[in-house]
Order: sequence, then structure tokens, then C-alpha cells
Amino acid sequence: MIPELGHVALIIALQLALLQGILGLAGASRAKAVWMAMARGAVAGQLLFVVLGFLALIWSFLVNDFSVMNVADHSSRHLPIEYRFTAAWGSHEGSFLLWTTLMGGWTLAVVLFSRSLPADLVARVIGVMGLLSSCFLAFILFTSNPFMRLQPPPANGRDLNPLLQDPGMIFHPPLLYMGYVGFSVAFAFAIAALISGRLDAVWARWVRPWTLVAWSFLTLGVTVGSLWAYYELGWGGWWFWDPAENASLMPWLAGTALLHSLVVTERRGALRVWTVFLSLGAFSLSLLGTFLVRSGVLSSVHSFAQDPLRGLFILIFLAIVIGGSLVLFARRANAVKIAGDLARTTGDFKPTSRETAILAGNVLLLAALATVLLGTLYPLVLDAFDLGKVSVGAPYFNAVFVPMMVPVLLLLGIAPRLRWRESKIGAVLRVVRWHALAALVLAVAVPFAFGEFRWQAALGVGLAAWMILATLGGLIARRREAGFLSLGMIGMGFAHVGLAIGIIGIGLVSAYQSESTVSMRKGDKATLGGYEFVFQGAAEVPGPNYSAMRGTLELGRDGEAIALLLPEKRIYVASRTTLTEAAIRYGFVGDVYVALGEPLPGGAWSLQLYIKPFVSWLWAGALLMVCGGLLAALGARKQTEMKA
Amino acid sequence: MSLWLAVGALVVVALLFLLTPLWRDKSALSGRHWLTLGLLGVLPAVTVALYLYLGAPAILQEQALTQAHSAYDTDAMVKALEGKLKAKPDDAEGWYALGRAYIALQRLDDAEQALAKAAKLAPKEARMLSQYAEAIALKAGSLEGRPLEIVMQALELDYEDEKALELAGLAAYQQQKWAESLHFWRRLMKKLPKNSEFYEEIERAVKIAEGKVVEASGLGERAKLAPPEKKQAPH
Repeated sequence: MIPELGHVALIIALQLALLQGILGLAGASRAKAVWMAMARGAVAGQLLFVVLGFLALIWSFLVNDFSVMNVADHSSRHLPIEYRFTAAWGSHEGSFLLWTTLMGGWTLAVVLFSRSLPADLVARVIGVMGLLSSCFLAFILFTSNPFMRLQPPPANGRDLNPLLQDPGMIFHPPLLYMGYVGFSVAFAFAIAALISGRLDAVWARWVRPWTLVAWSFLTLGVTVGSLWAYYELGWGGWWFWDPAENASLMPWLAGTALLHSLVVTERRGALRVWTVFLSLGAFSLSLLGTFLVRSGVLSSVHSFAQDPLRGLFILIFLAIVIGGSLVLFARRANAVKIAGDLARTTGDFKPTSRETAILAGNVLLLAALATVLLGTLYPLVLDAFDLGKVSVGAPYFNAVFVPMMVPVLLLLGIAPRLRWRESKIGAVLRVVRWHALAALVLAVAVPFAFGEFRWQAALGVGLAAWMILATLGGLIARRREAGFLSLGMIGMGFAHVGLAIGIIGIGLVSAYQSESTVSMRKGDKATLGGYEFVFQGAAEVPGPNYSAMRGTLELGRDGEAIALLLPEKRIYVASRTTLTEAAIRYGFVGDVYVALGEPLPGGAWSLQLYIKPFVSWLWAGALLMVCGGLLAALGARKQTEMKA
Repeated sequence: MSLWLAVGALVVVALLFLLTPLWRDKSALSGRHWLTLGLLGVLPAVTVALYLYLGAPAILQEQALTQAHSAYDTDAMVKALEGKLKAKPDDAEGWYALGRAYIALQRLDDAEQALAKAAKLAPKEARMLSQYAEAIALKAGSLEGRPLEIVMQALELDYEDEKALELAGLAAYQQQKWAESLHFWRRLMKKLPKNSEFYEEIERAVKIAEGKVVEASGLGERAKLAPPEKKQAPH
């Protein structure tokens, strides 16, 4: 009964989303207040019914209702209850339902927080979001229905993919999707601006808080995903340039560019068309990313064609959203520009201005994005047309992406120092030359302090030192000048310093990580990076839905035992897959990471030992960036309220 | 029926969200009637039509039927057997079947009594004895003592009796005689159809017991434990 009602709830939600879209857009263009009010009512209703549908699916998982095919395929009786809960969004169908639920939530938030905005603008925004939601709901109902039934039901389910049975998986997709879906607000605002031809500094002030919040969620989602890959995939990597990861990096890059160009549009009324373009781009890339990961094209482009309906739907949907918005952009961008030009008083800027620096950073970010897009899509396209298989991996991205990012990071230090409109470049350079000099000295000194000069460490430390010194120096100067620091500035400081700290982590771990694969018997001792590992044997420990071999290692330093490491190798019963559960000792200056390998003849085990210096700085830095994003969002929101 | 009532309630809630703003607004009297009527007609119709096309309303009746059927079956079977055995109390097979039905219904006292009769009537049938032993053990919560004695008797009569092998393995496992439990369970596995649920359960138990053997003997050879691992992000 409950699954059937969930099904009905989704059917009703689809209609409400359609009505929300039609009434919102038509009401705005015909100036019918009632229609717009009804569209707002539909927003709340749609959210309620999507949530009901999602709850029905979660309930089916919790009570092991294997007559629901989705439950039978992604859960089992032995699955612990917390993973039965998260299995609800572990599948293709469930993850789209999660997406739609979050979309409903964002739309309602727009309605609630935009009371001071012109009614027709809000109506257009929720109209666009309603149409997007209805596409997703139609996709769910007609091609990826989570409420398909099995009669008679199987006695047990096939269990959840063991890799997904992890706390990281509970948070990663919702956070990521919160970011993706959040960009739909900027997208909808951009479409509304294109339709109405109204786009000015005020528009940017409205869009900015939404974009900042979405960007913060996306950053957190990517971070959790990377952390999860680090401890769950069993070999201590934190970024693999895997297409699934690139899919989330691309919207992040576009969103980062958008945040910065929004500042220019808000403060100076400049870069309006560019900002609209980025708003469209960030969400289009979010869509592309979701579909890349969720359609199955990544595991094999041919799986895409095996379910023709699903693949076709996705292609048409992408074509309409991306193509349609670009066509609208091409036709209306000029109107936006002219309307803005008539209204503005400022907007032009000289080559030596903050606008130029931000624009240059933006262009470089987009160029970097283009290299990622190419490296991700090119192999898929080749494979799809049977032109051969190429593998584009870390060497390509490291060679192309990293050089593109270096100037961005250099600009990041100097841009906040420049004045809007025009700056005396000589004066600024005189101030920052000391930061640059200090950074250069550190770039050389720190690697030597590690005992060996490595260019990754020098580059990472040098860039980070430059970013931190220049950012903090800029903030101090501003505080002295203006007497206070706005939340936006503090947020910027957090984000830029956070990025720098992350880069220190990346530089040092790439340069100085050490690893060794050893074969150990009970009582054997190995040393790596100043640590001693004493193997105390491996024994079987039963789990709820798996059985594990657990190794025990005593970690010591200078003859003193400091920790017990318990790496596991698990065999999941229902799916018969093995999984390496690494044991990690997290530390401020580095992690010790041990993975249990294969059993060897004679009672020995192979073990992988890693020392990863400063790797946790990567995630700490990312968290600072998230804090920065949220602080800036708070600041932008306050400002909006004050001006409204 | 109750499904359609619930669907109706959901549709009404959805209409409330749409119609409240419409009817609250006093200025737009013109056109509000056809909009109301349109929504009142379209939303329920589309909901029902789409649900009939996509959904599986029939499953509810089928589920109700199968549930009622199975409940009815066990109860009726027990009643019929009880009646039959009153008339003909020396039917060992009958008591055996009734005892197993009682176990399924968790009526352990009745099960013990019924199976005691079965074992008394057919003392040379291993399966009667081992089933009797299970009933005693279930009631007492332990295999120690009498149940185990009966299991051993059953094994002497028939060394292939499945229930006896299962219980003997379990008893040995509980006494931490890992090797002995492996002996019984491996023997049992040979008798069971592969891929059956019972087979997989025993296989799992055997794996755990094997681990215990390894643990008890320091570190043995467990070479077949791990196929090469997958290193791919499963997004």
C-alpha cells in the first residue's frame, strides 16, 4: 500500500510541477497575480508530494519490502538499518528522487526568502524551476521508476553495493546534489532576466547568496567524496581524475567563476552578459555531471543505448535545457546588455583594475574547465562512435590542468588588492613584492627542510604562501582603511586561505608520500618513514552482512607503541564482493595508512603501508572554503535585506 | 478500495494547494470558475489515468490473497491433523507433521509433546528423533544434555540425516569444537541442493567455523579468501 501511495504522490507531484511551471511563466508574462499565487501554492504542494514519495521509498527500504523491485535490487535482510535508509538514494532511481526532493526544497526556499522581490521575477524563477522539476519527475516516472513491483516478491534482496555501505555515502550524494540543484536557482534567475530583459546590479545581489550557498554545498560534497575515496577505495588516493569526479569538478569550476563575476556585476554593473552565461553554464554542467554519472555511460557508453528510452530522454532533456538556454541567451543577451547600459551609471573598467583581474581569473578557470570537459567527454565520444578506446588519465590532467590553475592562484593573491575601475599597478606591486619574496623563500626552504627538494612541494608551498600572505595582507590593509571588515571580505579570506591550505596538503603529499608493499607473518616488523609496524596476525571477525579478515598491526615510533591499526578485508555475503577497509591513523602532519592485501602461502599476508604527509590539510582547507562560502552568503543576504 | 480512498485524499490535498490562492483572491472573479473546474476535472483524471498506466494496483489484492491464503493454510492444516490424530493416535507420520507445524507456529510445548509421540511410535526413524531433539532444544534454549543424546542416537541410526547433522554441527560449534562442527556441516552440505537458502546458510556457517579453526591454530592457510580487489569509484 505505502509504495503504491508513494507512486501516486509522484504522479501528483509531476502535475503540480507542470502547473507551477506553466502558471508561473504565463502568469508573469500576462501579469496575472492569481496565476502567480497559484504557482507559489504549487511549489509547496509539489515539495510535499515529492517528500511523500521519497518517504514511501525510504519506508519500503526500512521494512524490507522486496516486492518493490528497487528494494530487492539494492538492499537485503542483513543490511544494517542505517544503510537500508541510505540505500534509498544509492540506486539510479533513488538518486533522481533525491535530486527532485532537494529541487523542491530549494524552490520553496526561493519563495520564502524572496518576498521583497518583484512578483513577476519570482514567478518566472519558480516557473523555470517547476519546468525543470517536471522534467525530472517525468524522467523518474517513465524511465526510472523506483516503485516498480515484483509479484511474488523474492525472499531476500541482492544487497547494496558494499562500497556504498559507508557513512561517507550517507552524506556525499545529498551534499553534492544540494550544490548541483542550488545552481538551478541562478539558472532560473538568469532565464528570468533574459526573458524580461532586466538585469542589473540588483539582480546580481539577489542571485549571489543563493549561488554562494549552492557553491558551499558543492564544495563540501566534493570534499566528502574525495575523503570517502581516500579511506574506502583502499589505496589512499584522494583524487583520481575519474570521470565521475570530473563530473563534479566541472560545475564547481563554473560555479567558482560565477561567484566572482557576480561580485563584479553587483558592485560595478559590469560583466552582466558573462555572468548570465556562467549562471546557465554552472547548472548545465551540473545536469551534464549528474547524467554522466547516473546514466551508466561511464561504465560503458554502450549501456546507454541498452535502455534506449532512458538514454533518449536524457539526450533530449540536455538538448532542451542547454540548447534552449543558449538559444535564449543568443537572442536576448543583447537586450539585457542594452537595458543594463541604459540603467547603469558605471561599468567600464581599465586593464589595471579588480574587474580585469577577476575576469582574467574567470577566463582561466573556464579554460581549465574546458580541458577537463575535453578529457572527460573525448574518450566517451570516441567509444560511442566505435572509433577506438583511449584512456585519458592523470598524466593529461596534471599536464594541462595544473599549469592553467597556477596563474589563477597568482591572480587570487593580487586581485583583492586592486581597486575597482582603475588601480595604480605600480603601487600595488610595491606592496605585494614582499609577500612574493617571502613566498619564494618559503618555496625553496620548506622542501629542503623535508630533506629533499621536490618541485611539487616547492610549487605548492610557494603558491600557498603567496596566497595566504597576500590575502591576509590585503584584509589587514582594508581593515585599516575602512575601519571594519564585511562578512563578505571575511568569507573571502576564509575561502582563499582555505584553498591555500589545501594546496599545501596537495603539494606536500604528492612530493613526500612514501609507500611500501610488504609480506608479513605474525610477529614480523617493517619500517617506513620513521614508523615501525609490527604485524600481530590476522583473524576472522563476523559482520552483520559480511565476514572480514582483520589484521592487527602495532604502530610504533622510536621504540614506543603509539597506536593499534586494524585493517580489514571484507567479503560481503550477498554480492560476494571483497572490499578493503583501510586502517588510518589521522594526524596533523601526516596520516599513516595501512591496507590488508592478499593472504600468502605460509601464513603470511601482503600489506600496503603508506605515509601521507599533510594529506589532511587538503580536507581541512576545503572545510575552511566551505565556511568562507557560507559567511559570504550570510553577508550577501544581510546586504540584500538592508537594501530591500 | 482503501487505496482509492487514499488516492482521493491525496488529490484533494493537492487541489487545496492550488485552489486556496485562487479562492482567497477576490479581485479575479472572472475566469476563476473555469480554472477551478478545469483543475477539479483534470488533476484527478490525470492522476488516476497515469497511475493505472504506470502503477500496479492489482498487487495489493494479490498480496492480500497470498497472505490470507498462507495463514489459512497452516491453521487449517493443524486443525485437520489434530482431528485426524484424535481418531488415529498411533500415526507417527501424522505426529511428525503436526510437530513441525507447531514449531513453525512457535507453539513449542505442543511441538515437544507431538514429536515425543512420533519418536516413541517410530524409534528407528532418525528424522523423527532429530526433529524431536530440535523441539526440546528450542524449548529449553540449549542443545546440551538430552537433545544432544537424541541427536547422537539419530546419527547412529542414519548418518545422513540432515536435521541431525545440522544440530550435531551446531552443538559442536557451541562447545567450540570447531573441527568437529566442520565435519558435520561439510557432510550436510554434500546432501543439500546447491543454491538453496539452507545450503547458503550452512556454507556461511562453515566459513565462520573455518575462520575459527585458523584463529585457534595461530595463522593457517586461507589462500582462497580474496579474489583481486576492484579499484574503481562506484558513483
